This record gives sequence, C-alpha cells and structure tokens, in this order.
Amino acid sequence: MSTVLKADRSVAESPAEIRITDLSMRYRTVSGDSVFALDRVSLAIQPREFVCVVGTSGCGKTTLLRIIAGLVRHTAGRVHLRDREISGPSADVGIVFQGPVLLPWKTVLENVMIPVVVLGLDRDAHRRRAMELLDLVGLSGFEDKYPKELSGGMQQRASIARALVHQPSLLLMDEPFGALDAMTRETMNLELQRIVKDAAITVLFITHSIQEAVFLGDRIVVMTPRPGRIAESMTIDLPRPRELDAMSAPEFGSYVRAVRRLLNARGMTH
Amino acid sequence: MLRLRNERSGLRGTTRDESLPAAADEGDRSERAGAASRWLRSNKVQIFLFTIGILLVWQFVNEALRVPSYLLPTPSAIARALYSGVVDGLFIKSAFITLLEAITGFLIAACAGIVLGTAIAQFAIVERLVYPYIVGLQSLPKVAIAPLVIVWFGYGFSSKIVVSATIAFFPVLVNVIVGLKSADADQLDLMRSLNASRWQKLRLVQFPAALPFIFAGLDVAAIFSVLGAIVAEFVGSQAGLGNLLLTFNSNLDISSVFACLILLGLMGTSLHFAIQLLRRRMVFWSREDEVRKL
Ligand SMILES: Nc1ncnc2c1ncn2[C@@H]1O[C@H](COP(=O)(O)OP(=O)(O)OP(=O)(O)O)[C@@H](O)[C@H]1O
Ligand SMILES: [Mg+2]
Repeated sequence: MSTVLKADRSVAESPAEIRITDLSMRYRTVSGDSVFALDRVSLAIQPREFVCVVGTSGCGKTTLLRIIAGLVRHTAGRVHLRDREISGPSADVGIVFQGPVLLPWKTVLENVMIPVVVLGLDRDAHRRRAMELLDLVGLSGFEDKYPKELSGGMQQRASIARALVHQPSLLLMDEPFGALDAMTRETMNLELQRIVKDAAITVLFITHSIQEAVFLGDRIVVMTPRPGRIAESMTIDLPRPRELDAMSAPEFGSYVRAVRRLLNARGMTH
Repeated sequence: MLRLRNERSGLRGTTRDESLPAAADEGDRSERAGAASRWLRSNKVQIFLFTIGILLVWQFVNEALRVPSYLLPTPSAIARALYSGVVDGLFIKSAFITLLEAITGFLIAACAGIVLGTAIAQFAIVERLVYPYIVGLQSLPKVAIAPLVIVWFGYGFSSKIVVSATIAFFPVLVNVIVGLKSADADQLDLMRSLNASRWQKLRLVQFPAALPFIFAGLDVAAIFSVLGAIVAEFVGSQAGLGNLLLTFNSNLDISSVFACLILLGLMGTSLHFAIQLLRRRMVFWSREDEVRKL
C-alpha cells in the first residue's frame, strides 16, 4: 500500500517546498475601505515538513492558505511552490477544507475520484489508488455509500483521501478537525500522522488547538492578528511516531505552554 | 426539533402498520374489533370516508332542495355524465388532445427554461442583456397573450402549444437560475482548486445542486402547461377538453362541465405525480423539506 503512496521524488537537496517572501494581503471590503489581512509574511517550508499554523481568529490563517492554494491573489510579495511562482491553483496541491465539502450526489468513491476526473488523469489506475486511500483512512467497505450515510468524522476522512488521490506533493489543511469531538479528533490526529508518513508529503496544517499543533507538527508557526504577522516559528523536537500518551509528557506540556504564552502575549496588546 | 420529527415519522410508521391486516396472535373477536378500529383510524381511510360523506350530503341536500341541475348537478348526475362521455369516447379523445398540447408545451418550456437559465447563470453578458426582459415579461399575466397567439398560429395545435409553453417557461427559468446560483461556495472552491473548467463546474457541482430547484420549477410548470392549453382552447379551438367544456357550458349541460373538470384535475395530478416520481429517482440525496418552492 505504502509503495503506491510513496511519491517518487528525491527529498535530498531539493528547494523549499513553499517559499513565501514579504507576502501582504489587503482585502477590499464592500464599504470601500480595506482590511490588512497579512503583513509582510515570510516563511519557508521544507519538503516533507509538517508545519502547523496557530493564531487567534481573524489573524489571516485561512487567507494564507488560500493564497498558497492559488484561490485568491495576494497584493504584494512572492509565493513560490518549489521553483515556480504561483499564478493560480496547482494540481500539485491537495486541500482539506474546514468541512468535508463532499458532493452529496456522489458516492464516497466518486467523491474521492473528483480530482482525477477534473484533472483528466487515468481513471482506472487511480481507482485502485482511491480504494487504497479509502482503506488507509479506514473507510474500506464504505466506497459505495453516499456522504449522508457517513458520520462527520468519516466524511472528513473521505475528504483527506480525496486530497491525496492525485498524488500532490503539498497538503493544505484548514482546521480540518475543528468540527469534531475531542475523542474523534485525537483518533484523527493519530491517523493523519500515519497517513502523512506513508504519503511522504509536505503539510501546512491550520488549527486553533495548541495541543493538536504540538502533537502533529515538526514546526509551529504562531501568527498574530491585525495585521496578520508571523510572531514566532518554533521547532517541535519530539520523537515520532507520537502516541497519545506523549501528550502527558513534560516536554509536550512545556511546548504547549510556550505556544500559549506567545499567543497570549501578542493577543493582549490588542 | 429533531425529536419532533422522529415522533412524527414514528407515528406515520405505526399508522401504516395498523392499516395492514393484524397478525393473528390474540383472541379472534377482540382481534377483529381492534383491527377494524385501527383501520378506521388510518389516514387514507379517513379521507376516503370523509369524501363519501360529503358526496352523500351533497346528493341529499341537492335533492331535498330541488336545486336545478343547470346550477349544481348532483354527484350521481356528474358520475353518469362522466361515464357516458368516457364510454362514447368523446372525453378520452378530447382529454388526449389537451394532454398532448400540455405535455408538448411543458417539454418545450422545460428545455428552453433549462438552456436559457443556464446561459443566464453562466454568462454575465447574457444576464445583462436578457434579464430585464425576463423581469418585465414575468410581471405580465401570460394568459393575456393567448388571443394574439391564436391570431398568429391559428386554431390548431400549434397555438395551444405556444401558449402552454410560454406560461410554463417562467417557473422553470427562474428556478434554474436560482438553483445554479445556490451551488455551495466551498464545493466551487474545491473545483477551482483543481483548475476545473466552466463546463466541469457546471456538470459536477452547479447542475446537480440546482436539481431540487429545477424539479420544484417543473412541478409548477406541469400545472401551468395544462392551464395554458385550456386557456388557448377557450380563446379559439376546434378540439380538446377546454373546447368541450365551453360547448357543454353554453348548452347548460353542467353535469358534463363538472365531468370535464374532474378529468382536468386528474390530468394535473398525474403530471404532478409523474414529476415527483422522477424527482425522487434523480434527487435521492436531497431531503424534500430543504427545497424552497419559488
Ligand atoms: N473575502 C474577504 N473579504 C474581506 N475581508 C476578508 C475576506 N476574507 C477574510 N477577510 C478578513 O481578513 C482577515 C483574516 O481572515 P482569515 O479568514 O484569513 O482569518 P483566520 O485566521 O482564518 O480566522 P479563523 O481562525 O476565524 O478562521 C479577517 O479580518 C477577515 O475579516
Ligand atoms: Mg480560517
């Protein structure tokens, strides 16, 4: 299974997966004035790195993700996906939205196949891959069900399979488990860690939960609001694979405290 | 809210069960009495009995007060008129003609509404140019064009089809536009993130999302198409139920007029159920109560 998922690109000496330089974003609002959503953000993410972005609501996390996804155009600065400057959505990116965003009129398998259909890839070859991904996210046997027949957590797992089916090198996740209960969320975190390891993929993961960020991330980027800036980038030096027990370890706690202190310090000034 | 719905569906479930013959488990007599009272409580049986009651009262009051049949015939007289008209083939032939006019008009309206609605929702230029006309025409009572259409297209089939299609067109059009625009922004973002073409977005997301709305429009359009055919037949025709109805009316054969109305009612109801059947097969993934009727 993992042989299919393992991307055949060399990890060594490759350029940064994402390189963001002095990125600024100003939204024009309906009333005519503008919102400074991102202010000179710079960030480099290495291939196969798992980077978590935390920050209070409205600090520009989703904006950052949508710019990298090519869904909105930034107002200043540069964003490179590997060696190419982005000019729109790329087939090399998979996105997991805050909700599952499945098409209710398609079966689970058909939903996972959406990127294959839209990108015009070989359907027969990718159908096998889609089935393996469904197995990987624990949904084998559900491929012919419709989304409404699945629980929220199962739907979100299907959407992870969909984000991976076209073998992107970069996975963008915007609070993917925000709507799930704490128990399901922990299970999903474990599964995501396993999936990402098998897929050998770079991940940018947005979350409100500091625990989740410390548990999943190789690195945590802390953002502060109005205008959105990167306050700090912190490497999480915990051994992998991480088990749920790791969350009660003293190192884990000190990382969580450090991130919280950063968030609070910057949040108070406003 | 959720609990309420559960209770209601539970209730519906039991009434359905109770209309079935009860399983022989208890004593025979009390079993039969229980089954009878449960049969009486079933919804369909109640409606049926209520209708029989109304017809009986109508018949009785009508006879007792000696209401002249050119004002209000008795149910039995209407039934006789319906029977004889059906047996000698006149009703069947006329109903067939009107149904053919209505269905042809409906199909034209459905296709034109879907095509033009899609063009309006997809291309801003079409919307800018065409939409003012549509808004203007929509506020016009469409039956008013029937005399003009008779002048242009004559007394035959084509004028009926044109009026029927014109009236049925607007509910389809409006629902197609609203439906296509109701597509979920996140689903469209997903399409955009994959560089989907306009056609792919339409086929995979917008059109399926619009289907519940389109069916709501088609439902209204089916009724309107019969209305259009009848109105056009009133204004000028040689055949059809509307034509027949006018003849009976001028002869003061009111029993036969009622018989025609019953046939028209049956026609509308059948079209409605045909569309509901199609909707349930095509929009299986949507709940009916999520669709706003426009
Ligand atoms: N389409 C838009 N038009 C105008 N302003 C916007 C738009 N999208 C976001 N903003 C503004 O940009 C800022 C950042 O929004 P963004 O959605 O990126 O925040 P976020 O960090 O993802 O917040 P949350 O954690 O609540 O999801 C906010 O102040 C928001 O009001
Ligand atoms: Mg957000």
